[in-house]
Amino acid sequence: MKIYIKFDFNTVCRKVLEDQLEKHKIKHRILGFGEVEILEKTETVAFSAFTAELAEYGISIIENQKTVLVQKIKDTILEMIHNPELVTVKSSVYLSEKLSHSYGYLSNLFSDVTYTSIENYIIIQKIEHAKQLMVSGQLSLTEIAFKLNYSSVAHLSTQFKNVTGITPSAFQRIINKRKEIALKK
Amino acid sequence: MKLHAFYKSPTFLKSVFVVSIFAIFFISAVTFKHINLLNNSSKWVTHSYEVNLELERLFSYLKDSETGQRGFLITKDSTFLEPYLHAKEKIDRSFKIVKSYTKDNPLQENNIRKLEFYINKRQNYLSKTLHMSLNRSLSDEQLKEKMIIGKLTMDSVRSHINEMILLEKKNLIARELSYKDTIKITPIFVYITLLITLVLISISYIRINKDLEKMQVSNNRLKLLNESSSLAEMVGNFGSWQQDITTGVFTFSDNIYRLLGCEPQSFKKGQDDFIKFVHPEDRHTFEGLTSEQIDNKNLPAFTYRVTTKDKKLRYFRTTGRIVTNKMGNDLLIGTTSDVTDEVLSSLSLEQQNLELEASNKELLAFNYVASHDLQEPLRKIQTFISRLSDKEYDKLSDNGKEYINRILSSAERMRILIDDLLQYSRANKTEKVFEKVNLNDLLENAKVDLAQSIEEKSAVIEHESLPKMTVIPFQIQQLFINLIGNSLKYSKDNVPPNIKISCQKVTATEETQIPKNTKDKFYKITFEDNGIGFEQEYAEKIFILFNRLHNKNDYAGTGIGLAICKKIVENHRGFIFAKGEPNIGATFTIYLADN
Amino acid sequence: MQKEYIHIILADDDEDDRLFFTDAFEELKINTKVNTFADGVALMNYLNQPDAVLPDVLFLDLNMPRKNGIECLDEIKSDEKFNDIAIAIFSTSSSEEHIEETFVRGANIYIKKPSDFATLKKVLSDVVTLNWQYHTSGLNKDNFLMRI
Repeated sequence: MKIYIKFDFNTVCRKVLEDQLEKHKIKHRILGFGEVEILEKTETVAFSAFTAELAEYGISIIENQKTVLVQKIKDTILEMIHNPELVTVKSSVYLSEKLSHSYGYLSNLFSDVTYTSIENYIIIQKIEHAKQLMVSGQLSLTEIAFKLNYSSVAHLSTQFKNVTGITPSAFQRIINKRKEIALKK
Repeated sequence: MKLHAFYKSPTFLKSVFVVSIFAIFFISAVTFKHINLLNNSSKWVTHSYEVNLELERLFSYLKDSETGQRGFLITKDSTFLEPYLHAKEKIDRSFKIVKSYTKDNPLQENNIRKLEFYINKRQNYLSKTLHMSLNRSLSDEQLKEKMIIGKLTMDSVRSHINEMILLEKKNLIARELSYKDTIKITPIFVYITLLITLVLISISYIRINKDLEKMQVSNNRLKLLNESSSLAEMVGNFGSWQQDITTGVFTFSDNIYRLLGCEPQSFKKGQDDFIKFVHPEDRHTFEGLTSEQIDNKNLPAFTYRVTTKDKKLRYFRTTGRIVTNKMGNDLLIGTTSDVTDEVLSSLSLEQQNLELEASNKELLAFNYVASHDLQEPLRKIQTFISRLSDKEYDKLSDNGKEYINRILSSAERMRILIDDLLQYSRANKTEKVFEKVNLNDLLENAKVDLAQSIEEKSAVIEHESLPKMTVIPFQIQQLFINLIGNSLKYSKDNVPPNIKISCQKVTATEETQIPKNTKDKFYKITFEDNGIGFEQEYAEKIFILFNRLHNKNDYAGTGIGLAICKKIVENHRGFIFAKGEPNIGATFTIYLADN
Repeated sequence: MQKEYIHIILADDDEDDRLFFTDAFEELKINTKVNTFADGVALMNYLNQPDAVLPDVLFLDLNMPRKNGIECLDEIKSDEKFNDIAIAIFSTSSSEEHIEETFVRGANIYIKKPSDFATLKKVLSDVVTLNWQYHTSGLNKDNFLMRI
């Protein structure tokens, strides 16, 4: 049997983080977007045990302020894509307002750390979201284009092709064939 | 109509025959009866005459006896007694005869009895008178008295005899009358019967005559048919045979013998004789199949080799099946044909196919070489040159820079050529996977593929809804890409390309362009642009591989794109046509069979 | 702790192509470690070592002696321990059917070997960058399909 799962990274990470903080009896306050304020000084041994256990979940403590900000940018972008109705202004404006930095600064910082531009990252994430929606099979391509604020299906298709090198229909065909093969096994 | 049908039917003749037989029987029966009747009648006549004669004789004897008695009485001479006594005997005898004659007639018997009484009475009187006269006791008076009595008695006898004779005569007349009556109808009756029989026989004769004529005609036709079928067998190189299922005896047509190089009907008609000609390697199969033919009621067509009498190897094909003839007998009929030419040509065709297949494979292998092995070194040349021009460009002289650029563009052109050739050979690939797809999706994909170019030229593509069809998706998508790409490439400077794609379902007969006059349905998809167009005289040439209408410096291209289109359309059993007008635009029409 | 470089492996029987490949990565500003193998057998021997450092991205040439790219792909896809490796097909062929076939078999990326060095660099950079996004932004790798 094979089941398909949709999960929310933020919720999962937050839950894991909370559990671990509780477990290691660290007094804390979760600020959101991967930011935790430690309220009391913790013993070094206990703290390293905490970080080691978090590492098992793929969670690491970012020491660099730059990386923290990049993570914040990424989170904000995700939020923007999943809730397009919240975004009424251009994404650059939205980001600089939300993160209280000039867009130029954010843009440079992001490129340095991630090897890609914010614009490109937004496109990648949008296409990924479109893929996710296509795979779930609940929406038609037209509906997906509308949901993701594309002017037309053609626009979505073109962007999809630009990012992935293949057309949405080829993508869907490949994924379906893979599923068929997986089912046969 | 019914009557006519009866006349035509074979029962008619049988009925006529039966009726005639009955008529003849009837006539003979009637004739026999009449002859019998005639015989009887003449007997009766004789009989009557005999009765009358005997009666008269009896009367004369009576008279004799009386005369004798009278003579004696008068003369007393005993010589007169002699005739008396003599007559007495004769009377008795004669009476007995009469009696016997009239036995069968009650009326005459009655008369006889009376006559007997009178005769007896008369005899008594005669003898009494005679007795008295002998005793001399007879007086004249007594005599007179006796004589008178005798006379009276004699008179009654006479009248009685006369009466009898009369009666007999009356009988005779009645008999003659009835005889005449019978005799009178008989000939008419016989005549009528004879006449009817004659008529019937005449009709039968006509009928038989007609049947004979018909038989003659059908015999002639049959002969002709036999001749023509025998001729057909000779021309068509085949022969026919029959096998009687009950006896197992074979009958071969003349041409079977000829096919085997023998004189017609020159060997015994049997399977064993035929099988001698069958090639030893095929003999087993032949026997296997033919031995089952009766049980299976069918001999499936099969081919085998034979060696003819003149030692030539020929291929024969035999087939047969069971039929039931009009008489209800089962016959196995079949044909055997000489298929040597067909077999040989199919063998050579097979050989050619194999060669073709091999050459196709070679071509595919060549394509692979072109695609892969040729691409590899070219790609490396290009990469090395690109590295050279990236890193060492500044160190080169102006000439060197020029050469590098020329090499770059030549190599690029070669790459495009190889790519296009590869695409063309892929369109030729033998394995074709047909799928039912929505052509609109393929068109969208094509547009996505060309998105960059469309955007650069601000092209507008309008299209009608396309159908779902069973096609090779990659190829149709390629077709769309090539056609739209063609329109984009050959667009007018400073005029945004406008490509109109329309679609309609048509029937082959309605479309003059389709070289097919069937009712097959096609989808006609038209690509119309506002580009530079072309002279109509080139409309067919542009689909030929490597054919270009423009200088390669004006328009980059290999002359393969439209050849690929044609190939793809042909793969879908379709047609592609181009129509152009310089500076107005070009129209490409494709017909794809709707299946 | 996170490793600070991206581990890349290329299996290609062509020496020139391996050279272009390593040169391209050298010239790119991405922190990478590149290993190359001359054929499928050598590659699989390496990957199947218990202590092998598995690559982030594996580039597979299709036409290789001994064991070709498709065979390697099937082997890798049938072993769960290789689940995290992004697989890029690196080939000269560009037949649509061929490309789709490799995707269906589980390849993430299909690269038609470019014919100039600048393009090669760009393509490799794009691939590694996109893979990096999948790696760092928690994207669903099942949906990772890319054709350049």
